[in-house]
Amino acid sequence: MFLIFKRLWQVNWAEQWQYRANLLMYLLYWLVSPIIYLAVWTSIANVKGEVNGFTANDFVTYYMVLLICDQITSNIIIHTFAYKIQDGSLSGELIKPIHPVLTSALVNNIAFKMLTIMGLVPIWIILFFLFKPDFSGVTLSGVLLSIPAMILGFLIGYLLSAAITSLAFWTTRVYSIHEFYFAVILLFSGQFVPLPLMPKVIQDIAQYLPFQLFLYYPIQLILGKLSTGQIIQGYVMAGVWLAAAILFFNWVWREGVKRYSAVGA
Amino acid sequence: MQTLKLLSAFLKMNIQMSLAYRADTVVNILLNLMWLGWELLSLSIIFNNTETLGGWGLGELIALLGVFRLVNTLMIALIWPNTEKFNQSIRDGSMDYTILQPVNSMFLVTFSRITVWRFWDLILAIVLIAVGINMAEEVTSAPQILTFVLLAITGMIIIYSLWIVLIALTFWFVKFDNNVTILQALLDAGRYPATVYPVWLRVIVTFIIPIAVATTVPLQALRGELGAPQVLIFVLVSIVSFIVASRVWKAGLKQYSGASS
Repeated sequence: MFLIFKRLWQVNWAEQWQYRANLLMYLLYWLVSPIIYLAVWTSIANVKGEVNGFTANDFVTYYMVLLICDQITSNIIIHTFAYKIQDGSLSGELIKPIHPVLTSALVNNIAFKMLTIMGLVPIWIILFFLFKPDFSGVTLSGVLLSIPAMILGFLIGYLLSAAITSLAFWTTRVYSIHEFYFAVILLFSGQFVPLPLMPKVIQDIAQYLPFQLFLYYPIQLILGKLSTGQIIQGYVMAGVWLAAAILFFNWVWREGVKRYSAVGA
Repeated sequence: MQTLKLLSAFLKMNIQMSLAYRADTVVNILLNLMWLGWELLSLSIIFNNTETLGGWGLGELIALLGVFRLVNTLMIALIWPNTEKFNQSIRDGSMDYTILQPVNSMFLVTFSRITVWRFWDLILAIVLIAVGINMAEEVTSAPQILTFVLLAITGMIIIYSLWIVLIALTFWFVKFDNNVTILQALLDAGRYPATVYPVWLRVIVTFIIPIAVATTVPLQALRGELGAPQVLIFVLVSIVSFIVASRVWKAGLKQYSGASS
């Protein structure tokens, strides 16, 4: 099994490396929104002194850490997998004795992630000098605790996205469904603003959803803003949602493959 | 006259193409409404926490959202589909047939594909602008509205010209098929007044990829912040950039040598 993953890694790394120019463009594209939110909120905080308890530095550190967390917990499976179901090229992978989503596509996503993180590092350092965040609240234990939290966040997000991608077995409009799902994440994950600034209703709902585990929870963990109780609560939530995501994905995938008719074969 | 006839022919063709995917159009409009809801929600979140953003009120930001959506429509309805077709035609050599037509090739390349259902977006944008102006507290005079319209048009011309230059570069570097991503990437910066950005970001969105010239600047005119000389400068810049773009396009065409032969 280890050998299979090693091979998959070599193949997928080489494949992603080939598209490094595209990757840089993607990175740039993805960077702009958080930087703009950062600029907007720090400008408000600078005028008012603080926004609902958030100082300008709180916003700067929040979005600077968000850039890293988002890169680690997000995934691109909709773009790399849905078309395989649609054009029938999935057939070749289905006859292999390994699960296409949980091996090859997963490794592909991680290779993509590694490359974009390599590209992000220099940009992040430049932004660090431009915005001069004060990271004095960050503790080593917070950072160490956030690593498993981000891995859990990635796995949950990956399985949920994979389940949505698998809807391509039923409908050609899977990209529209994914766009809607993307908006839901935007609303509940803390991507636009730290969740306490969202309307009360959204905060209440967000508490029970897995999306805050992608961004808001690990960011606050790194910044050292959570109490021990909140940290444990987050990990319990992550465990429950991971189990739910596994069950959900497995079910959608099993039903989907039954329906699969291998277009073009 | 001939140009208008061609344009209406393009429109007809594109309407026919999109009629083949009616259900998709409905889904797309629903998604578009969802994003509008999100944009308004994000503005309301901002203004729940502050009275002004860089001195601009909620009404002005709604008007800015309208202008942003105009530029966004230009991007999605015209720039994306035509660039895709153009890049393809450079790679496979079908550009030959475009050049053979007895019409301005720049016009043909930039207007042959139009995502028709996006017209709905234009109406939405104009409604947003009107509502925003009405909500703004200061009284807006007729000349201010006229300069606003004028500068919105010059801003679009500047972005159109930049687009021409970017795709014309493909004549020299055939593999440059990321040509408009940079434009798209910075587009989001048009949602908020550029005056709240840090200086380096403001410089980028004003001088390098001038998204702010098409979004923030017209709004500044509406707020009565721009004098006649400044307005004149923007008009001149748009004319010059259009002339430069046509020149670059012609120079690029000379470089083109076909792909198949």
